[in-house]
Amino acid sequence: MKKIFESLKTHYQMPVTILTFFLVWQFSVMVFQVKEFILPPPLTAILHLILPQPHANYHWLLHIKITLSEIFISFTVTAVVGIAIATLISWSRTIRNLALPFFVFVNSLPIIAVAPIFLLWIGYGIVTNILIAFLVAFFPIVINMATGLDEVEEDLLDLVRYLKASKWQIFIKIRFPNALPYLFSGLKISSTMCVVGAIVGEFIASDKGLGYIIINSQFTLDTPAIFAALIVISLIGFGLFGLVALGESLFMPWHDPSKARE
Amino acid sequence: MKKISGFIKTHYHKPLLVVAFFTLWQLLVMLFNVKEYIIPSPISVFARLLVPEMASNYHWLKHIRTTLVEIFFGFAVTAFVGIFLALVISWSNLLRQILTPLLTFFNSIPKIAMAPLFILWFGYGIIPNILIAFLIAFFPVVINTATGLNAVEEDLLDLVRYLHARKWQVFMKIRFPNSLPYIFSGLKISSTLCVVGAIVGEFIASNQGLGFLLKDSQAAIDTPPMFAGLILISLLGMGLFGILATCERIFMPWQKMEQKSG
Repeated sequence: MKKIFESLKTHYQMPVTILTFFLVWQFSVMVFQVKEFILPPPLTAILHLILPQPHANYHWLLHIKITLSEIFISFTVTAVVGIAIATLISWSRTIRNLALPFFVFVNSLPIIAVAPIFLLWIGYGIVTNILIAFLVAFFPIVINMATGLDEVEEDLLDLVRYLKASKWQIFIKIRFPNALPYLFSGLKISSTMCVVGAIVGEFIASDKGLGYIIINSQFTLDTPAIFAALIVISLIGFGLFGLVALGESLFMPWHDPSKARE
Repeated sequence: MKKISGFIKTHYHKPLLVVAFFTLWQLLVMLFNVKEYIIPSPISVFARLLVPEMASNYHWLKHIRTTLVEIFFGFAVTAFVGIFLALVISWSNLLRQILTPLLTFFNSIPKIAMAPLFILWFGYGIIPNILIAFLIAFFPVVINTATGLNAVEEDLLDLVRYLHARKWQVFMKIRFPNSLPYIFSGLKISSTLCVVGAIVGEFIASNQGLGFLLKDSQAAIDTPPMFAGLILISLLGMGLFGILATCERIFMPWQKMEQKSG
């Protein structure tokens, strides 16, 4: 009981803040009579998603489906490939010490700038956007996972080595569980990056998806559609983040994320 | 003298790696006869940058200057506003309770998706790109600085309270110096994000800057200047990062010892 009360106390702030934010936005637009193409009230933006519009037909479901599949496929690929590569490079200390600084370096570069090159190689479409999302989201997972696999207490390793544990057993029973918190914090970063990658890909070249709607509506000055798309994108981002957090609490029931270090 | 030889000893492999990377790239392209519009050889990439007759087609200086100005102003505004807002948040309990959930909320939405809005509001040009860079780079600085200002040892605060320190004295002498490492790590994250923001802004709408050059060359299927642009963008990012690392050493000479031991 006390626990529920505590969690209410710590979590009530967020919904209240978001609600207040939308109310203030709605009322200040109404009071100051801001023109709709500059800043539409949030209600208009949300209604844009539901009601048919007289001037344009957006096929919201189609675009949402495209962006959703880009984000989910790229996130799955990122997670699988990222974990696999981190495990591979951590298998040998030498390879890890060579590869990890390289990954850290690449991670500090503005990777999104390669997007037009992908476009040139692969052409328009979903695959390009998935690859862009993969590329920007990939490095945080590898770096976090590899760090987690490495940062095991030396005493523990000494103990199991004394007990003649094989390298394989050390990996499965000690290194991997130890890496889980790092992995999930990497996955959380990557979940946001996948959304960013997919949307920027759609900005640059696409004729479908929410990013395309945003760019297209910018040309036609249909600002409510931009905000409607922004709201949906944010919801997708929250949803993915929520799934990762759910996975975290399922795989690591012993771990309390509110106490975890960032 | 010993310092210099030590520096060379620990860092000598980095330029070697760069040279090895470009040599390998050149050899692979030559060996497999890769077509230039897919992956150009580094020699043809650098020729576009350095051979005057070829370079003059691309107006490198103009594009570099535009992007540099955007990144510089984006970063300067980010740093000042970010640190200032964090100080305000840490100073007043009320503001902290109002603003913290709002900042967390905004930090978690994919802000880059808002880029076309800025184009719609401010038109083409440098200003919207600076604002986009600011928007996506701003939150890490605020959050890190605020964390640093609050992560002070309680004992230390008790001590100076006992000595009747004023609130601003506590800020100047304890909280601010304590937050410096956090500020610099926030600024380092932001430096990359500023480059990303400026480039994506140029992708979406611009008629100059390296991002524009990348998109323009992609439309013309002129791959070598795209790679040259990528190299320049990476150099800009690394330059900003390097300046920050230098400032960090200057402002926190005591930090170096800890890093070395760590």
